[in-house]
Amino acid sequence: MVHITINGKVIKATEGEMLLSVIRRHGIEIPALCHHEAIEPTGNCRLCMVEITREEWDGWKKHVTSCLYPVEEGLIVSTHTPDVIEIRKTILDLQLANCPDSEVIQKMAEEYGIYKTSYEVVPEGDNCIMCYACTRICEVLGRSAISAVGRGHRKEIAPPFGAEPPDCIGCLACAQICPTDVIPWTDRDNTRTIWDRKFELISCKECGRQTIAREFADYLIEKRNIPREYFEICDNCKRSELARKMGEIVARAQEVAI
Amino acid sequence: MTQQDVTRLQGIFGRNPREPGSLIAVLQDIQREFHYLPREALSETAKALEVPLSKVYSAATFYSAFSLTPRGENIIRVCKGTACHIKGADLLLDQLESGLGIKPGETTPDLKYTIEVVNCVGACAMAPVMIVNAKYHGNVPCNRALRLVKKA
Ligand code: FES
Ligand code: FES
Repeated sequence: MVHITINGKVIKATEGEMLLSVIRRHGIEIPALCHHEAIEPTGNCRLCMVEITREEWDGWKKHVTSCLYPVEEGLIVSTHTPDVIEIRKTILDLQLANCPDSEVIQKMAEEYGIYKTSYEVVPEGDNCIMCYACTRICEVLGRSAISAVGRGHRKEIAPPFGAEPPDCIGCLACAQICPTDVIPWTDRDNTRTIWDRKFELISCKECGRQTIAREFADYLIEKRNIPREYFEICDNCKRSELARKMGEIVARAQEVAI
Repeated sequence: MTQQDVTRLQGIFGRNPREPGSLIAVLQDIQREFHYLPREALSETAKALEVPLSKVYSAATFYSAFSLTPRGENIIRVCKGTACHIKGADLLLDQLESGLGIKPGETTPDLKYTIEVVNCVGACAMAPVMIVNAKYHGNVPCNRALRLVKKA
């Protein structure tokens, strides 16, 4: 256990835990786009910036990305100093120029009083903030089907050769983790399409509802030792089946009681 | 890829430790031998080093030393930095462009020459500068540019 001060309040935290989680656990709202529990923090969006200092620093302060900063004894944290707010505003202002159509960013910017970017809007902006959440989650899942391509301002997230990614299994993790929702995909008539690649969807044996992509199921069966039957019935039908069985047990128990 | 290309590729894999850390070295070797990174070669590299294809492609597109399209046996780099620009780099480039029939970034159809434009190579005192393969030529008179290239 370590003791840190957040906005004047002394708080207990676990050593090594990241500042952002502690801040959030105590109900303090700070914006963050690239942070997600499922992936290692990388500090790409810079929005979770806070100010830190220590008693012995003699008034010296610094700004750090809280998602990447492990707590340590005696840390004094301020989450909303004028400097910090200024930093967040600048980032949001820039992001707004980069992705003018992103509702998430518009909302965040509005909260900081920015309704229109003061920079020139990027002409072919596509709402991607280059936070790498998608490539990181794909890597965590053991696929690494997509990556950053190119360099500098032309860098983008894409599959190799801009073609259907051979390592993709249609799990949708990238699209779901994307904070600005820019990765398009569709589920239509038994077919899932993502990154231009098509995947057959498994239909529930009971109700016919589509569940997950066959490649994804195969992958889980192989890597996580999940029995194949598990994917043959959808969650809904599994639940009703369970309810039916429970009902039977209860009925039998009642019979016995009588 | 032809059988011969496959053999060359195997040679490259044989010369480098088969581990993800060899990625850049292997790509450099492929670039040197093939004068570009053929698509199949990248797929083979991914398999040989057990690196995801996406990461191989990421590295291949990140470094400007790598090219995904065939480049010439001879790479001509014309400096268009400030000093060279003032000392007539444009005239020099004109000569090369019309002499070889290609623009900067392009390669002659016989895959012999590629012209590239670079910014200041740190040899401003001998501007205009042209680098043919690894050889630096300074104070290049524009009418001699093509001859220097053909001699390479
Ligand atoms: S959440 Fe910390 S930098 Fe993005
Ligand atoms: S400008 Fe050409 S070498 Fe510096």
